[in-house]
Amino acid sequence: MSLPYYHVNVFTGIKSCRVMEDPQPLAKVLKKAERPLMVFGPKCNEVNLDGKLLMEYGVEIAKTLGAAVCATANTKKKLLELGVTPDSTYDAVEIVNHLKDPNWKGVKKQGNHDFVLFLGVRPDLGNQGLSTLKHFATHLKTVTLCKYVFPNATFSLPNLKDDKWKEYLENLIQGLKS
Amino acid sequence: MSKGAVKQKEINKTIRAEDNWEPIGPTPMPEMSDLRRWDLRLMKTYKPFYAPFCDLCCFCTYGKCDLTEDKKGACGINISGQQGRWGLIFSLMGCSAHGAHGRHLIDYLIEKYGEDYKIDLGGQVDVEAPHMRTVMGLKPETLGDLRKGIEYVERGIIHGVSATHMGQEGSDIDFESKSLHIGMLDHVAMEVADIAQTIGFKFPTSKAETALSGLGWGAVDKTKPVVTCVGHNAAVATVMIDHLMKAGIYDQVEVTGICCTAHDNIRYSDKAKVIGPLSKQVFFLKTGIADLVMSDEQCVRCDIPQLAKESGSALIATSDKISYGLDDVTHKEVDEIVRLITQEGKQVLIRDVDKAGEVAAKVLPVVAKNRKKELVTKEKAQELAQACKKCELCDRVCPNFLNISTAVSDVKEGKFDMMTSVFARCVGCGKCEQECSKDIPIIKIMQAAASWDTYNIRVGRGPIQDVEIRKVGAPIVLGTIPGIIAIVGCSNYPEEIEEVAEIAEEFAKRKYIVVLSGCAAMAAGMKKDAEGKTIYDKYKPDFDAGGVLNVGSCVANAHITGAAMKVANIFAKLPLRANYEVIADYILNRVGAVGLVWGSYSQKAFAIGTGCNRLGIPVVLGPHSAKYRRLYLSRKEEDDWTVMDGRKKELVNTEEPSPEHLMVVTESKERAIITLARLCIRKNDTAQGRQIKLNHYISLYKQYMGSLPDDLQNFVRNDKDIPIVYKKEVSEYLKTVGWKPKPLLTLPTFIGTYESNIPIDAVVK
Repeated sequence: MSLPYYHVNVFTGIKSCRVMEDPQPLAKVLKKAERPLMVFGPKCNEVNLDGKLLMEYGVEIAKTLGAAVCATANTKKKLLELGVTPDSTYDAVEIVNHLKDPNWKGVKKQGNHDFVLFLGVRPDLGNQGLSTLKHFATHLKTVTLCKYVFPNATFSLPNLKDDKWKEYLENLIQGLKS
Repeated sequence: MSKGAVKQKEINKTIRAEDNWEPIGPTPMPEMSDLRRWDLRLMKTYKPFYAPFCDLCCFCTYGKCDLTEDKKGACGINISGQQGRWGLIFSLMGCSAHGAHGRHLIDYLIEKYGEDYKIDLGGQVDVEAPHMRTVMGLKPETLGDLRKGIEYVERGIIHGVSATHMGQEGSDIDFESKSLHIGMLDHVAMEVADIAQTIGFKFPTSKAETALSGLGWGAVDKTKPVVTCVGHNAAVATVMIDHLMKAGIYDQVEVTGICCTAHDNIRYSDKAKVIGPLSKQVFFLKTGIADLVMSDEQCVRCDIPQLAKESGSALIATSDKISYGLDDVTHKEVDEIVRLITQEGKQVLIRDVDKAGEVAAKVLPVVAKNRKKELVTKEKAQELAQACKKCELCDRVCPNFLNISTAVSDVKEGKFDMMTSVFARCVGCGKCEQECSKDIPIIKIMQAAASWDTYNIRVGRGPIQDVEIRKVGAPIVLGTIPGIIAIVGCSNYPEEIEEVAEIAEEFAKRKYIVVLSGCAAMAAGMKKDAEGKTIYDKYKPDFDAGGVLNVGSCVANAHITGAAMKVANIFAKLPLRANYEVIADYILNRVGAVGLVWGSYSQKAFAIGTGCNRLGIPVVLGPHSAKYRRLYLSRKEEDDWTVMDGRKKELVNTEEPSPEHLMVVTESKERAIITLARLCIRKNDTAQGRQIKLNHYISLYKQYMGSLPDDLQNFVRNDKDIPIVYKKEVSEYLKTVGWKPKPLLTLPTFIGTYESNIPIDAVVK
C-alpha cells in the first residue's frame, strides 16, 4: 500500500486497502457486485475535472453499474439539478451506521448492499467511516474513487494528480461498460 | 459498592441533608454506576457508533495488539471496548482539565477571601448552581461549598481513571456509562469554576446586556505595550490588570488574550481585548505584536517558549500544569524576577498568582520599550515565498486539506487571494511550516493576506437569569420557541471561520435562542454584514427568541446546560435536588435544546458533549470530530421509539425519532444547519410548536437540499402539525409515502420504559 497523500490518514494497523493502480481490474471487481451503493460526498459539488463536475462522473458510474444512490452532506440539491433523485439522503456517519447491520434492508429495501463506492467525502471523515465498516461490516466491500489512498477501504485508487484521476475515472467507466 | 450507613452519613453531611430547600431525590452525589440504568436506557436508543482511529492497542507490554474486526488483544479487550476506553479517557482528560482549573481558582480564592465567602450571583439568579443541586443535592452557599463540588469531581475522576487500567473494564457499554458519568461531572466542575471566578473576580452577573469589547488581531493598538494572555485561567491577568491600574498605566497598554482567558479578561475589564480563537494562536504570536506573553493552562501550545523567543516576546508561564522546563522563580523577589526577564531575557515560571500578576505589570512597559513591531508586507511576503518549489509537502500535512502550496506559489507571483482563503480556513497548527524543505515562513506570510479588521464581541454574561427562564420556559417546552441552539467549543473548523457566524445568524433570524461560548463565541463575532455589523451588534443579548448571547469562557458552558435544568425546575416545578434522572429525562423529551461543536478538537469538548448527552441534550459535531472515534446514533427507521405517556401511564410507540441522535457528525455547514433544526423536535411539542419547528426544518431543507425533507413522515403526527405554507405540498408528499397519523401524547418520558427506582409520578407535576 502507498502512503496516503494526507498524513492524517496514515495507517496504524495490519489490514489495509488494496491499491488499484489499473482501473480495469477494479471495473471487473465492481461488476460482480449484486447490490452496489454509491455514496456521494460534498466534494462532488465542488471538484471540477477539466470542465466536468466530479458528481457527473459519480452519476455515470452509478448508472452504469446500476448502483443505488445515497446523497450525504449537501449533495442532494446538486444531484437533483443533474436529474438524479437519490435513493436515500443521510449524513456520512448515518449511512455507515446502517451499512454495519447485515440485516439492514438497504436504501431500496431490497437487502443490504454488498459493495459500497464512496466519492467526494472529506478525506479524514471518509477514512474514519471506512474504519467503521472495515471493523464492523465484514459482510461488505468498499471502494473509494477519490484521488487519494484510503487505507481503511477494501479497494482504493492510488494517489493521483487531477489529470490522471480524470483519466482513471473515464477508463473505469469504459471498463464498466465493456 | 452500595452505600452503607457511614457513607450515607458522609453524604448527608456534605450536602447538609437537614436543609429543606427541596426534598432529597434518589441519587445524592451519585457514584460511578448509580445512574448506569439511565445510561443503558439512553444507549438502547442511541447506540455507540465507533470509528477506530487506530486498529491497534498500544497500552501495555502485552502489545502491540491488533484488534482488527473481531480480534481480541492479549488482555481480552476487543475493538469496541478499546474505543469505549478511549472515550472514557477523553472524558476524563476533559473533566480533569476543568476540574483542576476549578480547584486552582477555589484554592486561590479561599486563601484570599476564606471558605465562608458567600456566593452571590445577583438578584436575578436564585438557582445559582443547577448542576450542583441536581447532581450532588447541595445548594452551595460559600466558596467552601464549591470546594465540596470539586472534591466530589476529583473522587469520580480517580475511579474513572482506574477503570481504564489494563485488565479492568472490558465492555464498551460500561466504558460508555462511565464516560457519561464523567461527562456529567465535567459540568459540575465547569459550574464550580465559573461561579468561583464570577464571585471572586466580580464578573458581570444578573445582567443580560453586557458591554461589547474589541475583537480581532486588528483591534490591537500595536504602538502600545501589548500583553497577550493565552489559555483558560484569568486569575493572574486580573491581578496584573489591578497592578496596571494602580500604576496608572492601564490606558497606555493593551491587555489582550487568545482563547478563554481572553473571555474572562473582558469579563473583568471590558477595556481588555480578544485576539481570537485558538486557531489564531500561532499566527498572532508570530506577528510579534505581543511584547509579553503570559501562558496559563489548557489550549496553550506546547511550543510557546519557542514561538515567543522567535518573535522576541517575553514569556511568563503561570501554571504548574504547563511548566515548559523553565526555571521556577516563584521563590524569588518580584524585582529580581523583573530583572531576570527584562535584563537577561529569561523566560520564567511563576506559580504564585499574585506575584506573577505583579511581575507582568512591571515587566510589560519595560520589555515593550525597545521592541520594533513590523508586520510582513506584501512585498516582503512575495520575497519570502520565492523559494517555493511547489513540492506539496505542506499540503500533505495540512489537517484541513488546504491547498497551501498553490497559495504560496501565488504569493510568489504577487497574488494573495488564495492565501487569504487559506488563512480563513487555517486551523493554525503550523505543520506546513515545519514540513517545508525550503523553510518558508508560511504562517508569517499570512500576515500579508489576513484581514486586519476590527470586530465586536459581547462580554460573557455568565448564568441565564431565572426571570428569563420564567419567560421562555413555556414557549420552549411547547415548541413555539423552536429551539435553543448552543454553539460552543473550539476552532478546528472544517471550512472558513465565518461559517460559525453564518450558522448562528441562520437560527437567530428564525427566532431560535442562540447561545455561544468559548472560541465559538469569538468566531461568531468575526463576520460583518454589509453595514459593518457583527451578530452581537445586530441581535439582542437576551435568552429569548431571536437572542444571541455569549455566556463566556469554556467553563461557562455549564450555564447553558444549567439553563435547560432551570426550565425543568422553574417552569415545570420539578425538584432538582439529587434528581438527575428525572431532570435529564425531562430535558431529553421536552426541551428542544441542541449543541453544536463545529470546530471541536479538545478532550474538554468531548467531555462537555458527553455530559450534554447524559443530560438529554443532543450534540452536532463538525467533521474533524469523527476522530473522537465515538458517536451516539439511532437508526430512525429501525429503532423502537416507544416512550411512556406519563399521564396515562401507558407505553406508546410514537414512531417518532425525536431527538434522532445524541452525538452526530455532519460534514458540511448546510447539513449541520438542517440537522440542528431537526434535532430541536421533541415529542412534547404542541401542534402549534411542531408546525413552527417543521416550518423551519422544511424551509431550511428546501434551501439547502432542494426538496422536501425525505424523513418528514417521521415528524408529522397529524394534519395539525403541517405548517400552513407547506400544507398542500406536504400533504401530497405524505400520501405518496403512505403516511398514517401517529399517536399524540402530552407527557412523554423514558421513566417506566426501563427498570428504575423512579416512579412515573415523579415526572408529573
